[in-house]
Amino acid sequence: MTTQLTEDLPADGTPGADRGPRGKGRRRGRRNGGRRSGGRRPPLRHRIITVSLLTIAALYFLTPVYWLAVSATKSSSDLFGTFGFWFHDPHPLDYLHRVLSYDDGIYVRWFLNSLMYAGVGALAATLLSAAAGYALAKYRFPGREGIFNVVLAGVLIPGTALALPLYLLFSEMGLANTYAAVLIPSVVSPFGVYLCRIYAAAAVPDSLLEAARIDGAGEARIFSTLGLRLMTPALVTVFLFQFVHIWNNFFLPLVMLSDSDLYPIQLGLTSWQGYADRQPELYQYTVGGALLSVLPLMVLMGVLQRYWRTGLTEGSVKA
Amino acid sequence: MKRPTRTEIRSARAAAGFLLPFLTLFLLCFIAPIGYALYESMLKVERTGALGLGGETTEVWAGFSNYAHALEDDRFTAGFGRVLLFGAVQIPLMIAFATALALLLEAASARWVGFFRTAFFLPYGVPGVIASILWGFLYVPGISPLVEMAHSVGWDVDFLGRSTVLWSIANIVTWQFTGYNMLVLIAQLKAVPGELYEAARIDGASAWQVARHIKLPLIRPALVLTTVFSLIGTLQLFAEPKVLKPLSNSIDSGYTPNLAAYNEAFTSNNQHIAAAEAVLLALVACVLSFGFLRLVGQRGKDGESR
Amino acid sequence: MSTSDTQRYGTPRRAVLGGAAATAAGLALAGCGSDDDGDKPEGRKKGEKITLTFWSWVPGIDKPVALWNRENPEVQVKVEKVSAVDGAQYAKMHAAIKAGNPPDLGQIEYPVVPSFLIDNGLLDLTKYGIARSKGEFIGWQWQQSVFGKAVYAVPQASGPMGLFIRQDLFEKWAVEPPATWDEYAGAAEAIRKKGAWIETFSATNGNRFAGLAWQAGARWFGTEGDTWIVSIDDEPTRKVADYWHDLVRRKLIKTIPDRQNAWYKDVQTGAMASWLGASWGDALLVGNAPKTSGRWRVVPMPQWKRGDHAYANWGGSTTAVFAKSTYPKDALEFAIWLNTDPESIKLLIENGYGTPAAKKGYATSDLDVHQDFFDGQEYSKVFAEASKGVDTSWRWGPATDTLYQRLGDAFTAAIGSGGSFRSVLRKVQGETVRDLKEKGLKVEAG
Repeated sequence: MTTQLTEDLPADGTPGADRGPRGKGRRRGRRNGGRRSGGRRPPLRHRIITVSLLTIAALYFLTPVYWLAVSATKSSSDLFGTFGFWFHDPHPLDYLHRVLSYDDGIYVRWFLNSLMYAGVGALAATLLSAAAGYALAKYRFPGREGIFNVVLAGVLIPGTALALPLYLLFSEMGLANTYAAVLIPSVVSPFGVYLCRIYAAAAVPDSLLEAARIDGAGEARIFSTLGLRLMTPALVTVFLFQFVHIWNNFFLPLVMLSDSDLYPIQLGLTSWQGYADRQPELYQYTVGGALLSVLPLMVLMGVLQRYWRTGLTEGSVKA
Repeated sequence: MKRPTRTEIRSARAAAGFLLPFLTLFLLCFIAPIGYALYESMLKVERTGALGLGGETTEVWAGFSNYAHALEDDRFTAGFGRVLLFGAVQIPLMIAFATALALLLEAASARWVGFFRTAFFLPYGVPGVIASILWGFLYVPGISPLVEMAHSVGWDVDFLGRSTVLWSIANIVTWQFTGYNMLVLIAQLKAVPGELYEAARIDGASAWQVARHIKLPLIRPALVLTTVFSLIGTLQLFAEPKVLKPLSNSIDSGYTPNLAAYNEAFTSNNQHIAAAEAVLLALVACVLSFGFLRLVGQRGKDGESR
Repeated sequence: MSTSDTQRYGTPRRAVLGGAAATAAGLALAGCGSDDDGDKPEGRKKGEKITLTFWSWVPGIDKPVALWNRENPEVQVKVEKVSAVDGAQYAKMHAAIKAGNPPDLGQIEYPVVPSFLIDNGLLDLTKYGIARSKGEFIGWQWQQSVFGKAVYAVPQASGPMGLFIRQDLFEKWAVEPPATWDEYAGAAEAIRKKGAWIETFSATNGNRFAGLAWQAGARWFGTEGDTWIVSIDDEPTRKVADYWHDLVRRKLIKTIPDRQNAWYKDVQTGAMASWLGASWGDALLVGNAPKTSGRWRVVPMPQWKRGDHAYANWGGSTTAVFAKSTYPKDALEFAIWLNTDPESIKLLIENGYGTPAAKKGYATSDLDVHQDFFDGQEYSKVFAEASKGVDTSWRWGPATDTLYQRLGDAFTAAIGSGGSFRSVLRKVQGETVRDLKEKGLKVEAG
């Protein structure tokens, strides 16, 4: 049996398809079919099976998205009245425009809120995690392992179990129903700290830090110039992880927020959906709004997948 | 006793400086709520006066009666049983699915790998609520093209029925997270040095053997990680049943522990029982995840000679 | 947190006067239940521009509000639409009250007004001169928010029940509109034979089930001395439960949730040939099934005994002022204007909000907004008649939203497992007694 994918795996471990546009792959494929013998590639039968299985899986993952795209072009009554997997009297731009302008453009506001919660939250979470992880990895002090273990336990506690008491607590502090109510808990990422510690321990050599100290650099300066730079791959992962986490979080804003001006997008959409029986066009807006909110994230997912690699592995190696 | 040296003091001070911002917020957002929930869960309300009117409201010590109440409530315990069942079925399936996809992608020719991987990963960018709204449309009879298609081939399927709705929720979760888990696994696979495969290949191992005996053991840590995350995620199930509840006649207000706690706090307006339920949830989550980590940790030590 | 916390723990604080205290006369009914009346500003200064927030889910409520905003540049009202699915709006209000930041005004249905009193959530409006407006509203609707001497909300509308039917289908299938529940069961059977359904029994629709029990003569809540009497498992309710259980068991009605996607689809396609709804339901049908225009009629709700005129309400709501409102005076002024001003009522009626609580400012025929949809029928007369037959001595208990949730859960379980609806009543009765106890109230099973 002559197999293997090593061909597709350049020495640095980057998959071939990651590197260039699809055209390149196609060229290669053709060339392959021509003169390079099948010796290094799996037999045709295997490839057909593989691709068929992958295609079936892709159908599964893409069908709902396809449905969403089709449905976003329909009126509310067509949404209920026509076959879901095909177009009927499509007015995509018209409907999207209505989604964006309904209720003085509240949708846009929700979108910006989501972006703010996720962007600011993830950035702050990354910096806090970096500093904490770095400290836990690179300094020896009493109680270090104790702190690390408590933080680790934090990874294992469901965020939603905390949201409820946190809400009661924030209510007492007068923080409920403010941007801060969603932002503050979002910047705490025990998983980020865990990842940063593991990564810093491996990627930031003590000798380098010593050298910098001997050169007279302060600890803060060493961290911000050396530490952060060396930890960049892990930081990107923490940022993305936290960004998606905050973007997708429903329970916390649901519990914390009552003013719809503060809503992130998915809370806004559920409020539309909940109101739709009184105002049927909101079904249409919910679907259109869902598509609009999903598109940028999906593009982001596609573009950024490669960045999920490094850090995640680091985290999992020691898990 | 050795006195701490200047460098030691300096480093402790620096470490404190780096740790403090995180720890402060960690205390506020993790430790304090747990403490507060514990405290709230031990209280109950008493009212005096005729009909509870015109009198006074006091919060009095209740001991563990709220916990007893929560555990006696068959809705709440049924919800726990339900998510455990869910986890026992859905997590292995999803992880197996993700592993299969990761290995298949590794084995596929380069041509479409990028497309497939992106397609599988896309749903991760769809928040649970929106995924549920979306799938909700695909589940509702009369609207869903899936039901319509099934019906046309003589299969009357009810995605929202009593026996099916849990698995319909499982499908939503699987749809969302398989791609993510796959990516974690792929990341781990990529970290395996290519020579290892090469060596195995030269030794005459088949693709299946390489996958089974080399790749799977190597991605074990990633499997553990994804399983633990899935476990935590499962116990928190909330958005999916909450969104599907109005559409189905089979989801009650305590369908998952989280939904029960939420409804207890906001619909029934009883934060003391809600607090007790939240504490129980956190406790079970911790025990299960730690237990699982321990279990695989043990086996890892026994089984691997690394 | 700590200061108010110590206040709460161990330190008594004034409670609100919750519940059906109309019968609890002679009680010294204190205060409005807000903790910090003391530091509340007396209201806005002259010429000061303020914005009040108002949570509602009534369709088109923004139109009268826009009118108000044009006429009152200094007191702007901002409507926030809240979801009314599954009690979500009240969960949100309870949460906001707990967090100390409720809106100024809220749409609150009659059944749940008492729940908000237990919460210390609403303001006693007698201090702000609401009594002056008493005469402008229908007596029993006014009474729905009166507890002791306090008045907690301005009544807006009621929802007398009636039966919406697809006249064309009934005619085609030669089914007579049912006048009694016996006939209704017969009609259900006949329609089922034609491959359609007469109705759905939605497990989670506690509001309508309460209406059905109410019509049959049930009295779920009462008071005796200082004790609440809970009688959900009473004879009339059992009769209703048995009746619907029988229909469900014989598979003559669906059990899908009402007013959700699948239900709308059924209404649009005629798969569901009637709807036991209420006076506010016209707008709902018109909005969601526009293509069925002209084919609907409204007939009176079926009776248990031929010739009777017993009816009930489904819903009906108020405009309440929350205890934390900074400008209660202005909020009340708006609430009264909203529900009595003829222009406002006209706009509300146009968008379908039910049967007005105000006595004046409209004619019954004004309510026939969607006459075309009902092929020219003066359908509001049916609801006006029904309104007269509603037994207005029905009282709501102090935790109706919890009760509805309990009912929903128990019906869900019963429908799923084939359990009897009677057992639902038994279960919910027990749970409700326990729930009220947990709220610190004295309670007995009736």
